[in-house]
Amino acid sequence: MLVVASGQAVEKVDFNREVRPILAGKCYACHGPDDDKREAGLRLDVREAAVAEAIVPGNPAASEVWQRIISQDPDDVMPPPSSPKQLTSAERATLKRWIEQGAEYQEHWAFLPIKRESPPRVKKVEGLRNPIDAFIRARLEQEGLSPAAEAGRASLMRRVTLDLIGLPPAPEEVAAFVKDQRPDGYERLVDQLLISPHFGERWGRHWLDMARYADSNGFLGDGVRPNAWKFRDWVIAAINDDLPFDEFTIQQLAGDLLPEQSIAALTATGFHRNAALNTEAGSDKEESRFQYLADRVNTTGRVWMGLTVGCAQCHTHKYDPITIRDYYSLYAFFNNTVDRDEPKTKAPALGEVKEERRETYVHLAGDYARPGPPVMPASLSALPPMKIAAETEATRLDLAQWLVSPEHPLTSRVAVNQVWSRLFGTGLVSTPDDFGVSGESPSHPELLDWLAAELMRQGWSRKALIRLIVTSATYRQSSAHRADLVEVDPLNRLLARQNRLRLDAEVLRDSALRTSGLLTRSIGGPSIRPPLPGDIFDVGRSVKWEVSEGAERYRRGMYILTMRSVLYPMLTTFDAPDATDACVRRERSNTPLQALTLMNDPVFVEAAQALAVRVVKEVPERGTVRVKRLFELCLARQPLVDELAEAKRFYREQMARVKAGREASLLVLGERLDEVPSEQRAEAATYVALARVLMNLDEFINRE
Amino acid sequence: MMSPNEWLTQTRRDFLATSSCGLGTLALASLLKQDGLLADGGLSAGMNPLDARLSHYAPKAERCIFIFLEGGPSQMDLFDPKPLLNEYDGKPLPDSLVGDQKFAFLQKETATVMGTKRVFKKHGQCGMEISDLLPQIASCADDIALIRSMHTTQFNHLPGQLMLNCGAPLLGRPSVGSWVTYGLGNATQELPSYVVMVSKGRGLPGGSSTWSSGFLPSSYGGVMFRNGASPVLNLANPEGITTEMQAASLGAINDFNRLRHRHIGDPEIASRINSYELAFRMQSAAPELVDISGESASTLEAYGVNRAEPPIKSNLGGIGNYQVFSRHCLQARRMVERGVRFVNIIHASWDHHSNLDPQLAHNCGMVDQPVAALLKDLKQRGLLDTTLVVWGSEFGRTALGENRVGGKAVTGRDHHPGAFSLWMAGGGVKGGQVYGESDDFAWKVARDPVSIHDFHATILHLFGMDHTKLTYRFQGRDFRLTDVHGAVVKGLLA
Repeated sequence: MLVVASGQAVEKVDFNREVRPILAGKCYACHGPDDDKREAGLRLDVREAAVAEAIVPGNPAASEVWQRIISQDPDDVMPPPSSPKQLTSAERATLKRWIEQGAEYQEHWAFLPIKRESPPRVKKVEGLRNPIDAFIRARLEQEGLSPAAEAGRASLMRRVTLDLIGLPPAPEEVAAFVKDQRPDGYERLVDQLLISPHFGERWGRHWLDMARYADSNGFLGDGVRPNAWKFRDWVIAAINDDLPFDEFTIQQLAGDLLPEQSIAALTATGFHRNAALNTEAGSDKEESRFQYLADRVNTTGRVWMGLTVGCAQCHTHKYDPITIRDYYSLYAFFNNTVDRDEPKTKAPALGEVKEERRETYVHLAGDYARPGPPVMPASLSALPPMKIAAETEATRLDLAQWLVSPEHPLTSRVAVNQVWSRLFGTGLVSTPDDFGVSGESPSHPELLDWLAAELMRQGWSRKALIRLIVTSATYRQSSAHRADLVEVDPLNRLLARQNRLRLDAEVLRDSALRTSGLLTRSIGGPSIRPPLPGDIFDVGRSVKWEVSEGAERYRRGMYILTMRSVLYPMLTTFDAPDATDACVRRERSNTPLQALTLMNDPVFVEAAQALAVRVVKEVPERGTVRVKRLFELCLARQPLVDELAEAKRFYREQMARVKAGREASLLVLGERLDEVPSEQRAEAATYVALARVLMNLDEFINRE
Repeated sequence: MMSPNEWLTQTRRDFLATSSCGLGTLALASLLKQDGLLADGGLSAGMNPLDARLSHYAPKAERCIFIFLEGGPSQMDLFDPKPLLNEYDGKPLPDSLVGDQKFAFLQKETATVMGTKRVFKKHGQCGMEISDLLPQIASCADDIALIRSMHTTQFNHLPGQLMLNCGAPLLGRPSVGSWVTYGLGNATQELPSYVVMVSKGRGLPGGSSTWSSGFLPSSYGGVMFRNGASPVLNLANPEGITTEMQAASLGAINDFNRLRHRHIGDPEIASRINSYELAFRMQSAAPELVDISGESASTLEAYGVNRAEPPIKSNLGGIGNYQVFSRHCLQARRMVERGVRFVNIIHASWDHHSNLDPQLAHNCGMVDQPVAALLKDLKQRGLLDTTLVVWGSEFGRTALGENRVGGKAVTGRDHHPGAFSLWMAGGGVKGGQVYGESDDFAWKVARDPVSIHDFHATILHLFGMDHTKLTYRFQGRDFRLTDVHGAVVKGLLA
């Protein structure tokens, strides 16, 4: 929720923003859409029913609801004293005001059609770069806030490069950009990044999070899926080719059902082959199948519609208009889908059973063994209907086409919110997997709709959307902390500055490798296994971890084999997902284990060694020039005066230590020792210390 | 040169004096409009996720040592004497019992009851019956609350293990230790709050998902302590990096970070500085923790740290784990003494489909002495009252001998979820009692059933937390360890 300046007591209560969250959070579990769990026959989620039973609009005193809320009798008071969901005094006041003002309801915003409104007028037009800025600025003006200044050139370049390709820029690239005086220099940079083959890697990884991509089955045994990476490579290629998001969707959900078969479209259906699968000997096959299919339903709901459809697996959804029947109508789309591999490439793919098709039933209480009434494949009843020819059974292809139809109120909103969240750290809707009633309302609803409409107008082009966002003044703002915002907007939802974001696990690894020059840039292919101590891997019961040789081990983090039972520790420590569920938003934690990893993990130590040797070799002059080069490589900028002084102090201290320690101090160069002429070894060893410090700085770990 | 500790104190003081990180606290204050412990499902931005927090009500347990013996030890050979077993040996089970029970491998049409060689005697003042395989644990009977009426919904290993450790038979859910850490934060600044130690023969089916933070932030996940020189991954300085260099580097990192903080003011930088300080402290605290050379000879002997292991040809639970397991038990005590909140001691496997007698005996020989030593040691140090010790597994085993297709002689038992045993001690648990009862064949619960959810609700209760209120918002729902079930088992409370 936004924290807005207080003191507006008489303002009209906004149902969607203020009242619904209270009713949904504290009342709907017993007085909501679920017929089975409804108490006293009262439902408060529909105005007609609420007014008929318990609310007298305009008159709290005469409203049963209000009387119950303020009752002192433990048998009468609502919520009952046994409920952990008690109302706060502020919530009571809001409900009272709402009833006083007529108890008006609004339909939930996310189910309403997308409205493309013109960007709002703003008082101060200076600095606006595109319509996004008008939406953001208008809101800031309402709150009496002004946007931050544009970030410095170098900082901006590092930001947009990390955001778009997941690698830091080279110092030469930064220098060229800083010098570029052309008015469209930044746009040119963005266009360059968008055509980089690494763009698909970075944005592919975002999608793989949502696709719960892994290279193993999970569960006991955790068998390797030797061809899972073919789906990963399809994602990278599709994103590099800017496959429109509607096509991207259709191929993944129903590529096997397209009239024209292609290897690519079949490989795309690997999306739903990524779910964990219980292959434990002795397990109930039917139960495992049920769970496997339920995952497909839940993931489809989350990833494309931002809905928690999984809540309706056992009972009608407590908050959203999704019945248990709706749930199994979606399940029916997958109930005759079988796992089949693409014949030429062996890529995991889907296929559809033609004969002996299974009937689908509602599963009572979500129990795979308790079939209830039969159902046919159908869309969610609360959303616009699916257009299919009469007398035919809807297919996965119909489902996919329905999701990307222009009338669908969710898919495009959810998609733009995803992209936005990757570029600002938080979505316009801060619950990217819950656009339902109990999720957060959008901070800028008109902007969300405008962007959703724009995405479709631009032919569902992901690249066009990203270009639009990153060229906005809003994106280009400085991320520096602003003391004046702390009280009014502590979560920075109004975007009066950019957010400073800790790098994702893979990007952090890639940054260290790239900075040091170790990075192997090849794209795609089988997953790799960087060194990992045996006892860490042996905890599970899976196959051996055969360490990749040579340059392979310095490939990007996204290529590290994902075993569900033994996740790669460096990635997990920095919040990479565990591939059990679609991950739509990563945590960004800050822990001592992260410090230990960056200081001591072999990958980062090797990077520090390589970086030190690189700097000593590349820069013949000792002293300031070398230190500056190190700063450029690590932070894409020159050291400030105080930083240079600190660097030199540390250098002198370390040089003294190295000299005093003689040969033993040179061990810090590791395998690089032999690459360095003996007269430069002390210098290189000193630089290992300095390089290691710079690659541990908060600034290195963050994109500013 | 300053010692690392002096240096830390100094830099900390400088930092607090010069930084404007008070702003972060201010932001936090305006965010913390909570009506209770972590209400509304989560922590607010800027709050350190591991800061110690108050529980819902006064806790009895402040820490927990959870001994998870993976695979399903046979309850009727250890904790739940069934005299009828030997009488029915080789005969089918009464029809009324078999019913629609599902099995992993057992062919129920032809299976017959398997007797037991075990001898049960009464122990302690309470007269608790425990098998001859666990004589030393039996000597702690008066501290133990033995539950003979556990039941679970799962009859396969990993789903069962996830149920026991994470409250649901699915991957991706937080483990009990993660929930406790999430609820209460960390009581030590120098060590992880949640530590895991593993010994194994066959490997652990779920691997690290057994101690996963699931959908909770990863800072609540268990940290595996290893058996070798570097107890935590990446704890030891890399080759060629001395403690002196590490300390100087850390000093420089934090100096630069302070400068950056001065320039751009992001309070997250203050957290980063703090993390580096903690990491550095952990670098000396963790090796100190696992260094048991200062323990007395009698303590080492009590735990059996240097004891000999009897020979056995093969064992699913591995050979050569006796000393390792002893060490884990002793380290667990050292951990809880130093403020670690939750310790998992895990051993795999106890999955005795065949060769039950020799392998169960071998495993029991491994755990009996050190677990008993741990209970006595905690008690003697006055720690048992506030330390909950749990012994458990994902399910029990069948009274029927396993006759799987293709199997040779019947020498073991299949998985059994319907009734099994688990025990708790210390931490506010009423010891010296047997809780609940199974039927004559340990087939179904006969009295006072305890579900996994009830068991979890009880653990959280002992920690002073209401299991219905400890929630985390994920996928639009306020998740609990106990899903929508569970009730605190009052009879287990002291």
